Amino acid sequence: MDDNRIWEMRAFIYRYAAETTRPPSLEESASYFALTHEQAALAYEELHRRHALFLKPGTHEILMANPFSGVETPFKVHANGKTYFANCAWDSLGIPAALHADAEIGAACAQSGEPIDLRVTSERVQESNALVHFLLPFREWYNDLIST
Amino acid sequence: MNMLFFRSEEALNQWLASKHTERGAVLSIPQLWELSERWYHNRLSPEYHGRTMEQVQEIFKEVALTSSFWVA
Repeated sequence: MDDNRIWEMRAFIYRYAAETTRPPSLEESASYFALTHEQAALAYEELHRRHALFLKPGTHEILMANPFSGVETPFKVHANGKTYFANCAWDSLGIPAALHADAEIGAACAQSGEPIDLRVTSERVQESNALVHFLLPFREWYNDLIST
Repeated sequence: MNMLFFRSEEALNQWLASKHTERGAVLSIPQLWELSERWYHNRLSPEYHGRTMEQVQEIFKEVALTSSFWVA
């Protein structure tokens, strides 16, 4: 598959996630591009290799198309009348930044479990006393994206 | 999943102690939003094909994340 088609696949995956809240399955992508299962699988693997998305290990299910998550998480983002799931605290603000949409974010303090609610309006975030902690330094982020 | 929210410094310190973990980097919500805007503003564009390490480092610099934690 040529490079252009690989990037078209990436664009489709992100458009699909923005519209539906979740990344497409391999079958949905194959069908959209009229590809065989094997051809679409190769494209997914190539996008994973390029860090354009992250596949669930041993599968062709998209676990992360950052900032969108392919699975439910404790980081909920309500925007455009839909509920998205973010991969982490950072990505919960990443979703309104990517969508250029107002959003309400529902998460919780990792220590106490108390709710942390944030609001983005007109591309500005409402003041909050909450903090975000990044555990791993940048040079280690791509060693193990699930733990990052 | 280790980019987490905390209600306060106290809550973060309790969490670090309970995990026997060293403190990483801490951002305020406005700082995180600034980083998110720069990192994700063009993510839905068909023209977005990833970025180089130099571009990543430039984004960190723009939001004043200049400690060794943010170096490639």
